[in-house]
Amino acid sequence: MPSQPSTRSRAALTSANANRRQRYQRRARTGDLLVMLLWTSGAAAAALFLAYGGAHLFGTFGAAVTSLGIVTGLVGTDFILVMLVLAARVPVIDRTIGHDRAIAVHRALGKPALYLLLAHGVLLLIGYGITTGYNPIAEIGPMLTLPDMPLAFIALGLIIAVVVTSLVAVRRKFSYEGWHFVHLLSYFAVAFALPHQLSVGGILATGTPQRVYWIALYVLAFGAIVAYRFVEPAVSSLRHSLRVDRVQQVSPGVVSIHFSGRNLRSLGSAGGQFYIWRFWTGSTWWHSHPISLSAMPTDRHARITVRELGNGSGRISSIARGTRVSIEGPYGLFTDAARTAPRLAIIAAGIGITPVRALLEQSRLAPGEATILLRASDTDETYLWDEVAELATAKGATLYTMVGKRSRRAPTWMPQADAQRGVTLKSAFPHLLDSDLYICGPTPWLDLVEADARAAGIPAHQLHSERFDW
Amino acid sequence: MRTRAVITSIFASIGVLLIGWQAGQTATTTTVSTPQASGTTARTSTTTSAATSAAASSASPSVAPAAPVGPKAKDGTYAGSSVNTQFGSVQVQVTISGGAITDVTPLHLTDQGGRSVQISNYAAPILHDEVLQAQSSRVSNVSGATYTTDAYLSSLQSALDKAGF
Repeated sequence: MPSQPSTRSRAALTSANANRRQRYQRRARTGDLLVMLLWTSGAAAAALFLAYGGAHLFGTFGAAVTSLGIVTGLVGTDFILVMLVLAARVPVIDRTIGHDRAIAVHRALGKPALYLLLAHGVLLLIGYGITTGYNPIAEIGPMLTLPDMPLAFIALGLIIAVVVTSLVAVRRKFSYEGWHFVHLLSYFAVAFALPHQLSVGGILATGTPQRVYWIALYVLAFGAIVAYRFVEPAVSSLRHSLRVDRVQQVSPGVVSIHFSGRNLRSLGSAGGQFYIWRFWTGSTWWHSHPISLSAMPTDRHARITVRELGNGSGRISSIARGTRVSIEGPYGLFTDAARTAPRLAIIAAGIGITPVRALLEQSRLAPGEATILLRASDTDETYLWDEVAELATAKGATLYTMVGKRSRRAPTWMPQADAQRGVTLKSAFPHLLDSDLYICGPTPWLDLVEADARAAGIPAHQLHSERFDW
Repeated sequence: MRTRAVITSIFASIGVLLIGWQAGQTATTTTVSTPQASGTTARTSTTTSAATSAAASSASPSVAPAAPVGPKAKDGTYAGSSVNTQFGSVQVQVTISGGAITDVTPLHLTDQGGRSVQISNYAAPILHDEVLQAQSSRVSNVSGATYTTDAYLSSLQSALDKAGF
């Protein structure tokens, strides 16, 4: 008799693993397709110019400079539109590569796009200047007399402001809200740039297929923003009408916020996902907080656990009962759906335990499939550990804990004592290479764990991390 | 998996660029062929683009093949056909006096698309001087004003054809 359930569970495990592999392959294919679309859209922008007969417009030096200026403008604008789509939280992108990677690509495109657009402006000033016999600076005057060009200059100025405030060194000097306000100007920049593209250049002249394609790109980018960043969250917030039900102190500086709402299960949240929350009181409504669920929602109840950091989060704990809450989400790939390997390994530190708690709750695990390592720098940081311990027992998972500060001398993610004892990633997780490793915690710590895991030879697709710094 | 993404990206990009380039080739050959079809001349200077497309489609052989060293052209003013470009139509009028081109007046120049007027105003005097000097429509292209130049010269040629120049 006892052998029967075990055979059944082993069979279930194998089939679950086959499913996982299939799902992963599908996701990888979609991911490759998205990458291909990104680069091809850049090539297509250049192709618009070639289709116009652009290859023949390199005859003289002046014409060549002008032509190059046009191409850089087209490709740069295409990149900006791609960036809008990446930041639009389009479901297929979030499901395929996850919101954080989409934003990473969005960031990586920022500087190249700015350089291309700056080159566009400079090259055209030089190119037009050569044609008309002015120097590039003097050419600014005549250029501004062209219809729609003043708007285009404003657009370029806005784009410069947006990208410069987003450079890591500069961004630190801004509050999130200040930076975000400047960032919203990019919508105006992209919109202000459109008229001159359609009227000044001949490439997108009325009646050409190029014009149709270009306008379609704009509609796609702005449509994605409007649909997924404004309409969908507003509709979903109204439909589920979330309110603060109870704020519960779980540790010094850490609170669990309980919400009441309607049909919350139909939001389709997966364990490990986050929402962007906005609390509608006079002093908090302009802050939005990306926070993971710390438990799977029931139809009428949801819960998050927050550590009070910075301005916005600081006010959350004093939020009144009954406060209306709007949400955007669920987002993120720190979920069971992202698994690719037969075993599960989890490492969480501090407040990073919240998505792990929900992930664990939702995962269907065979006994022995999962190993969990919880990390805290002192005993105050051990909130939700009791809940995770309970879940671990119920699901037959192995649970380790490590309490203590990291060594300041050697770069290790473990407490000094454990590191000195000779504990390694491989000794805690003997099946590491057969496992999906989920890591969540503060970024500097997380980077160390990731580096350690990579050094141990874990393939990139088995590594899942959730950073709390964006 | 990433290699697959890179390889497909490269191929798709090259494919798209080739399609664009190919389309560009056909686009330029059609713009070049338009002037050749402008055999008929428009009588008045108020020709609209409709007249040009009619002219282009009728494509009646020009009267040009008169020998270059043949009888001298009659004095007078002749309007060329209106030639369409994507930046607007171009039509010029030529004045023949004593068997020589003495003046070329633009009746209409490219004016669509923000920079067209600027380009036209810059290119027209250059073309005017070159034509008077060369005494024919076979002059070099004004850089940065390719479309205007092509249309200007083909409208001029149609006027010269009419004059039997």
